[in-house]
Amino acid sequence: MPAGHGLRSRTRDLFARPFRKKGYIPLSTYLRTYKIGDYVDVKVNGAVHKGMPHKFYHGRTGRVWNVTKRAIGVEVNKQVGNRIIRKRIHVRVEHVKPSRCAEEFKLRKVKNDQLKAEAKAKGEVISTKRQPEGPRPGFMVDGATLETVTPIPYDVVNDLKGGY
Amino acid sequence: AFVKAQKTKAYFKRFQVPFKRRREGKTDYRARIRLTNQDKNKYNTPKYRFVVRFSNKDITAQIISANITGDMVLATAYSHELPRYGLDVGLTNYAAAYCTGLLLGRRVLKLLEMDDEYQGNVEATGEDFSVEPTDTRRPFRALLDVGLIRTTTGNNVFGALKGALDAGLDIPHSDKRFAGFSKDSKQLDAEVHRNYIYGGHVAAYMRILMEDEPEKYQSHFSEYIKRGIEADNIESLYKKVHAAIRADPSAKKSEKAPPKQHKRFNLKKLTYEERKAKLIDRLHTLNAAAGVDSEDED
Repeated sequence: MPAGHGLRSRTRDLFARPFRKKGYIPLSTYLRTYKIGDYVDVKVNGAVHKGMPHKFYHGRTGRVWNVTKRAIGVEVNKQVGNRIIRKRIHVRVEHVKPSRCAEEFKLRKVKNDQLKAEAKAKGEVISTKRQPEGPRPGFMVDGATLETVTPIPYDVVNDLKGGY
Repeated sequence: AFVKAQKTKAYFKRFQVPFKRRREGKTDYRARIRLTNQDKNKYNTPKYRFVVRFSNKDITAQIISANITGDMVLATAYSHELPRYGLDVGLTNYAAAYCTGLLLGRRVLKLLEMDDEYQGNVEATGEDFSVEPTDTRRPFRALLDVGLIRTTTGNNVFGALKGALDAGLDIPHSDKRFAGFSKDSKQLDAEVHRNYIYGGHVAAYMRILMEDEPEKYQSHFSEYIKRGIEADNIESLYKKVHAAIRADPSAKKSEKAPPKQHKRFNLKKLTYEERKAKLIDRLHTLNAAAGVDSEDED
């Protein structure tokens, strides 16, 4: 019999619940709110059968473009042939987590605004641009002793002891 | 005799521990998920549940909204507050549940300044009463959360529900489980329900005992007798309590002395900084001692 390529084919392990985490899912997944424009990770929860995305989207991150009663509309990039299409899928909230990909950016935004405000108050001009890590600075080596190593002359008799 | 170990190490390795409140037998998660789940397109609008719980001697009625950090209680009413309104005995019966539900409902409405708009059902008949929305504001909506009790017809939980409904809260319900609903005729007998709300069933039992077993009456209803409550004046007592509740439902802060400090018998857990500091001190003393020893050796 041929393999079959149904909707949930090859998802035996992918959609399986982790070890010792079966049964009712914690309530916080239901209590989170999502706004349009948020980044979310799609992670399928095999315990909830409704509103499951296709296995391709498991592990993808996208932006919220729609919010309905029990589901979120997520816009995910998918490569089809030679181009990338922005695909819009609807996923139930149990299969979605808020993504932390933009968290560092948001924190930096807040901090930069604060730094700029402080600098403006003091009257200085600062650059809040991130700089790449440069080459390591030079340093002096302490407590180094010199050990001179010279080669010893080749001793035919001793070195050929084994196989001759 | 050799008994095969039933719970092997393998059993424990595979055992999945249920949620804490399930282990304690206090929360029904299937019901909780369905009660607290809010439509995503309503974002942060709270979904209130009208929680009624019975202990052996007390009734707790609360309006709670769910939160990731922990549920927030909007208002609460206990049946041990009813002595303030003139009811000292029978604090877990159907009538007391009605009073507690009524107290909670009026309290919430007063908190939200809706108590003039929504009077609810002032005269408690046993009929099914649902709040009519006025033009200005929609009524306060909550969902009944019974917890783990078995929802049989005439359960005291529905007495509390009736109290809250008559107070003016909008709680979706049906009259199927009120006391006085007959399965055969599929109708609520309002008279019977009214009887329960005013403690008529307690009064009837008092009358029966007085007739047949006066000693048991004396022992069972001793607290009632002490306060001069008789079968005939029970209904008027509850009427007075209802009126008192409607007059002043506000919560009163109880003055309690701050709890006294108890002597500590076990060691207090150290913080990370304290543990690190301790370690550094130990190393210093060790180095100092080692320094002294090595000096002696040399």
